[in-house]
Amino acid sequence: MILLVNTTSDTSVSEEIKRLAKEAGKDIKVIEVADKKIGNCIGCNYCWLKTPGECTVKDDYEEIFKEIIHAKELWVISDTALGFLNHKGKNFFDRILPIATMNLKFKGKEMRHVARYRNTPNVGIIYKGEADGAYLNRWTKRCAINFESKSLGAHSSNNIKEAVACM
Amino acid sequence: MHVVIINGSPRVKQYSNTDKILKKFTEGLTENGTTFEQYEVSDRKQWDSIRGAYNNNKNILIAIPLYVENIPGLLLEFLETLAPKNDGTKLSFILQGGFAEGSQLRCGEAYLEILAKELGCEYGGTLVKGDNFSIRFTKDETRERITSRYREMGREFAAQGNFKSEACRKFTGPETFPLKIRIMVGMVFATVARKSFKKIAAGLGCTKPLGYRPYK
Repeated sequence: MILLVNTTSDTSVSEEIKRLAKEAGKDIKVIEVADKKIGNCIGCNYCWLKTPGECTVKDDYEEIFKEIIHAKELWVISDTALGFLNHKGKNFFDRILPIATMNLKFKGKEMRHVARYRNTPNVGIIYKGEADGAYLNRWTKRCAINFESKSLGAHSSNNIKEAVACM
Repeated sequence: MHVVIINGSPRVKQYSNTDKILKKFTEGLTENGTTFEQYEVSDRKQWDSIRGAYNNNKNILIAIPLYVENIPGLLLEFLETLAPKNDGTKLSFILQGGFAEGSQLRCGEAYLEILAKELGCEYGGTLVKGDNFSIRFTKDETRERITSRYREMGREFAAQGNFKSEACRKFTGPETFPLKIRIMVGMVFATVARKSFKKIAAGLGCTKPLGYRPYK
C-alpha cells in the first residue's frame, strides 16, 4: 500500500495524486491531517527507553503511525518555510521515532538504530511552495537511510506527475 | 561582545543535553568579559522575549539537537515567526547529536547555512559534535567528561566571534570510524551497550523489551 499523508490544508494536490495513482493502478491510501492534532516531538526518548514503540504525546499521530508501519511507501505533502519543509511537515517526521529502537548497529560506515518493525517504508516528499529542492532531496535520502529504506525523492507540487511516476 | 543564546531543544531544560553543553560553553565564553543571555525554545512563554532579543541584537547563537537530520519541528515553528533581518546580524550554531560520527550531522549542518541566509543573517558557522546522547543519563564526573570539552569552544567563540576556525573544525572528531573500530564498537553495542540501555530503561520504569512492537 502507498500511504499519502497531506499535512497542508489544500486538498487539491492530494486529490490529483490519488486520481493519477489510481489511474496507474496503484493501491493508494490518502490521510488528510490538516484538521488533526499532531504535536511536536518533545525529545523525551520514552519511545525508545520507557514505553518501547509508543509515543508519550497522545494525539492523532498514533492512528497514522499504525498505517505507516504497514505501508510500502510513505509520501508526505508539506508546505515549506525557510527553504525547508514547514514545521507541520517536520513534526510529522520527528514523530516517526518509535519506528526505530534504541538498539544500535553499524550499517555501512555509519551507526544506525535497529528498526522496530520488519516492514520499512520507502519515503517521498511533495513540497508546496518555495524550497531548496536539492537540499530536500539530500534530506529525504538521509531520512530513508534512518528508516532502512529508499528515498523516492522530493518533488515540487508543481510537478505531481513526476512524483506519481516514482510511486 | 554580547551574545544571545537560544537553546533550540524541545526537551524541557532540566533534561536538555543541549543545556548541559551550553553550561560549559558559556563558562569558557565569559572568561574574558563576553556576556550572554540565554533562552529556551521548549518554553513557549519565552517566545516573545526570544523574538525581542533576536530583533535587538546582532550576535545570535542557536544551539540545536539534531532531530531527523535537521532542526527540531518546534524550533522550526518558532523560527517561522521571525522576520528576515538584513542588518548585518551574525547567526552561528552549535549542532549536537547522539551518533558519534561527524558525517551524521552534515545534512543538518548544510541546512543551517541555508537558514542563516533565509533569515537575512551572516552565517557564523556551526560547531558540530555528536556522541552526546548519554548526557542526561550521566552524573558528576562522567557528565563533566562529556560536556567540559565545550568550555574550550566557548573561549574560541569569544576570541573569534564565529565557529570557522581550524580548532572548531577539529572539535567534530572523526567523520566516520575505521573498519577496525566499527567492528569493535559493533561488538560493544551488541553486548555491553544493550545491557546499559536496558538498565537505563528499567530505571525509567520500562517493563518491556526495547524491541517491543505495540502495534500489529
